[in-house]
Amino acid sequence: MAALLRADFTTLWRNRRSFGLVLLVSLVILVSWKGLVDKLGGVFVLSSCITIGLTSIGLMGYSNSIARDRDRGVFQRLRVGPVSAWTIMMSRLIVQIAMIVLMTVLVFVVGYFVDHIYISPVGYIAGLLMAMLGGFVYLGMGQAIVGLIKNPDTVNSTTRLVYFIFIMIGMFGEFGVLGKKIGLLVIWSPYGVVRKVLAASLDPASWNMDTTWALLAAAGYTIVFVVLGVKWFKWENK
Amino acid sequence: MINQQQAAAPVLAVSQLNVQYGAFQAVKDVSFEVHAGEIFGLLGPNGAGKTSTLSAIEGLLHPASGSITVAGFDIREQPLHARANMGVQLQATSFQPELTISEIIRLFASIYGVNLKDAAVKQKLAEINLEEASGKKISQLSGGQQQRVSLVISTIHNPQLVLLDEPTTGLDPQSRRQLWERMEHFRNNGHAVLLTTHSMEEAEAVCDRIAIIDHGRIIAIDTPEALIAQHRDDPAVLSVVRKGKVTLEDVFIGLTGTAVRS
Repeated sequence: MAALLRADFTTLWRNRRSFGLVLLVSLVILVSWKGLVDKLGGVFVLSSCITIGLTSIGLMGYSNSIARDRDRGVFQRLRVGPVSAWTIMMSRLIVQIAMIVLMTVLVFVVGYFVDHIYISPVGYIAGLLMAMLGGFVYLGMGQAIVGLIKNPDTVNSTTRLVYFIFIMIGMFGEFGVLGKKIGLLVIWSPYGVVRKVLAASLDPASWNMDTTWALLAAAGYTIVFVVLGVKWFKWENK
Repeated sequence: MINQQQAAAPVLAVSQLNVQYGAFQAVKDVSFEVHAGEIFGLLGPNGAGKTSTLSAIEGLLHPASGSITVAGFDIREQPLHARANMGVQLQATSFQPELTISEIIRLFASIYGVNLKDAAVKQKLAEINLEEASGKKISQLSGGQQQRVSLVISTIHNPQLVLLDEPTTGLDPQSRRQLWERMEHFRNNGHAVLLTTHSMEEAEAVCDRIAIIDHGRIIAIDTPEALIAQHRDDPAVLSVVRKGKVTLEDVFIGLTGTAVRS
């Protein structure tokens, strides 16, 4: 596992331009929303940016790297060695979790120094933990996509499309500009439940029954995506 | 080096192997053994069942029935132990393109539980005349160099069984000869080598025994010389002889037919 992790982190570092862009999306939105902090609230801004970052990592980062390495035969080469399939996948997931931690900490730091969003230390810790849990919804979704689609180019275009839909409908839906029905749909969508749980974690005093339902929904989404993703996933493209 | 007790039992034993893809049966009751100090060739036209057989041995697919043991370990019941005793060179050199050659060697050494210091990595690369390439990426090497790296990685843990899947495809004659010498070196050190190839010249040159597989079944198994002797007077073989003298390729085409497979 240590050797695989070292290799996977080295690969991530060598692809730092592309993972930098994945991190940049949420930071650009965070900085550009500086003027909206007073209207929307710091917690809403932080939770939205983290949710967008989680979507980027799960859909753009994870699924594309898995699809690419599967197409190259990297997994098959590893699998003929004395290493279990779960070890290979766990190493990949740990790298993504590290990305989630980095992205969340960067959002907190930029939010603090640029947007002047101040939350409690408990809020930061709870937010970080919930970001990791919320990340599994999108990693699961990425796994389901890469399980369902074999061609790496199709995976790439599909994840971009899903990402775009999530951000556009998610954000505008939550602002209420797409009507009540769409708004309700967004609230209980993977985007909405993760954002809701994150917001309540950043401000633990605001946690209520709705947040608990959102947390359960997020867990449900994760289970469904992971089960389907694992069931559909093939280690080779043939 | 392999000890005498290990040399007595087959390193690889494939028994009554059946591989099924839906309604299509790719491998039918295939059985063979590969012993220590032997290079065994698995020959067959495209789609004959070579890759499916090899994939089952590697543990990459679950056979419908039959058993495979590597160094005494059942590939289905103890896959990690079985894989720890085999070194595999796949058709394509599928290593992470972002990693350097020395990083890839170190990664696979660690996977196989071999602790390689920098000096040992350099030594491995020097053995294949690639000491200057340690900092290069795999894509920066030529096909022959990639195959040499792949072979070093396949045998980094001194496995009892070495599986080579069409290792000389696309290589120039010099690189091919060098690879043959490496194979013979493994054999002489007591390793068992299972080689798949489309080159009858290669099979004749390096294999101690060969099996010809067609439509999922083994249709002939023996030494190259014995196969030629057995089929010297076969009308199907005689009808495809090109230069007066029966070769292994003539026997192969005589047994598997002249039709081009997809």
